[in-house]
Amino acid sequence: MLDQTLSDGPLVEMINIEKHFGGVCAVDDVSVDLYPGEVVGVLGHNGAGKSCLMRILSGAMMPNAGKIRVRGQEADIHSPSDARDYGIETIYQTLALADHLDAPANLFLGRELKTAFGNLDDKKMLSEAQEVLARLNPNFKNLGDPVSSLSGGQRQAIAIARALYFDARVLIMDEPTAALGPSETAMVADLTLKLRDEGIGIFLVSHDMNDVFDLCDRIMVMSRGVNVGMHPIRDVTKDDVLSLIIKGALPDDWEPRQR
Amino acid sequence: MIATGKGTSGKPRLQISAGTIHKMSALLTLLILILIFSFGNKAFLSVNNGLTVLLQTSVIGLMGIGMTLVIITGGIDLSVGSVLALSGTTTGLLVKAGVPVVPAMLCGVLVGAACGLFNGFVITKMRITPFVATLGMMLIARGTALQLTGAAPISRLGEAFGILGNGSFFRVVEMQANGFPKVVFPGIPYPVVLLAIVAVAAAYLLRRRAIGRHIYAVGSNEEAAHLAGVNVDRTKMVAYTMSGALAGLGGNVLMSRLVTAQPNEGVMYELDAIASAVIGGASLMGGVGTISGTMIGAFIIGVLRNGLNMAGVSAFIQQIVIGFVVILAVYVDQMRNRR
Repeated sequence: MLDQTLSDGPLVEMINIEKHFGGVCAVDDVSVDLYPGEVVGVLGHNGAGKSCLMRILSGAMMPNAGKIRVRGQEADIHSPSDARDYGIETIYQTLALADHLDAPANLFLGRELKTAFGNLDDKKMLSEAQEVLARLNPNFKNLGDPVSSLSGGQRQAIAIARALYFDARVLIMDEPTAALGPSETAMVADLTLKLRDEGIGIFLVSHDMNDVFDLCDRIMVMSRGVNVGMHPIRDVTKDDVLSLIIKGALPDDWEPRQR
Repeated sequence: MIATGKGTSGKPRLQISAGTIHKMSALLTLLILILIFSFGNKAFLSVNNGLTVLLQTSVIGLMGIGMTLVIITGGIDLSVGSVLALSGTTTGLLVKAGVPVVPAMLCGVLVGAACGLFNGFVITKMRITPFVATLGMMLIARGTALQLTGAAPISRLGEAFGILGNGSFFRVVEMQANGFPKVVFPGIPYPVVLLAIVAVAAAYLLRRRAIGRHIYAVGSNEEAAHLAGVNVDRTKMVAYTMSGALAGLGGNVLMSRLVTAQPNEGVMYELDAIASAVIGGASLMGGVGTISGTMIGAFIIGVLRNGLNMAGVSAFIQQIVIGFVVILAVYVDQMRNRR
């Protein structure tokens, strides 16, 4: 499936992206691409610059240099809403929910459904939220409660539902399972593959090696802000990946796993 | 709050949200106060006195509504008392200069809105904390009001200037046989009607419009709101501008009632406005607060003042009592959050 979609051209290209904070170079001349229907794992130590790179794509941060192309067209992304206009949705590590609002209000935050008079259409938002959340978690019933009172899995479901509902073409998942229990993690994994099969391109930022090898088609490893390796998952072993993360290079005697 | 315990799964649920409980307890407090004062003084529970309380509360109520919007965003507006004075004196000066009353008052309210917009600009673009930014505006607005007037009240502003503050709907007066008029029904004062309109409009804005939803979201989790595509800066600016405009409106009502523009009016009013929002359940941490709660809070303060006045309690003791009420209200609020 990977090879067949390659011919369509990349969904997203990030080219020579740079980001400095004062003298610190968080992202240094990094290029990465993403094709429809593939999952690219973004790995690295804490502070390696992977979250930073993803925040640039999601519009939460502006790069100092470099450009982004979406489906071959140069994209101008200055804010999260710009990114959304290009079909780029993000599930943040922190889930980014407003605790005092209920699930539908969070799902539609910034993109509220309105009636003909410009009033909030709470009824419609509730029914739409019910529908999309039921696909993710059939036990999700307490939609009227503030999200602060929900479980981690339910909060995650809202964050994912946000991406689902608005027909994301590119999905950035920043450690989506960090706060979840085993069954909820499995649910997120299933969902990731389902979305991939629908032709969505997914960047998966993760520390969990099992997740990465179960879900990803390619991996990209960052170390000190530099892209130290981009490999199809079938070419590398877990040890190779760990070597990339820790040493910043593949083992000296490395050669592709299956070839 | 937006997420009050509506049943969403079809069947009605008995669960009542914490915000509703707080509001009920505030309302109960208000009723108990009215009951106590009624026993203490027969004149307290009369139509006349009721309308007086309403009239006295209207200015604090208007400022409290603006304050509530700001507090929900997680901010605070310390400048409203001074902005009230600046707005009122601007109107007074314009009327004195020959401008008709209605456009002059509109200008006064606009000056208030401009002060609020400036607050919002300083807070969002210059990244100064709301406390410091509005503290600055508190001094700027007060200083400007005093400078413009030479610290002297502007009087003899004409009858038209006093209509907003002193007029009323449905006033019934009949002439008695002895030639003196007798007030059958004092009428519903214009400021009270104005307060009701503004309160309903603000509640509509908070509950039914996107900007209201964004005000809650910004106060609840600013980062999340930003990432969700909410224009955080614009949302805050709207809240502060409305706070300024409502303080200006309150200033015009107050000066009109006095038929004098006083540059040193409204000192410490910001604290009454904050107190009514907080007593009404607004959280200074942001994300929580309602207009109805603030109205109850404003009336608790109004009834306390009026009742204590009628009981002959000195103004100093009144301050002490209101101080304790504020602390108690916040304590109750914290207890409910700790659960």
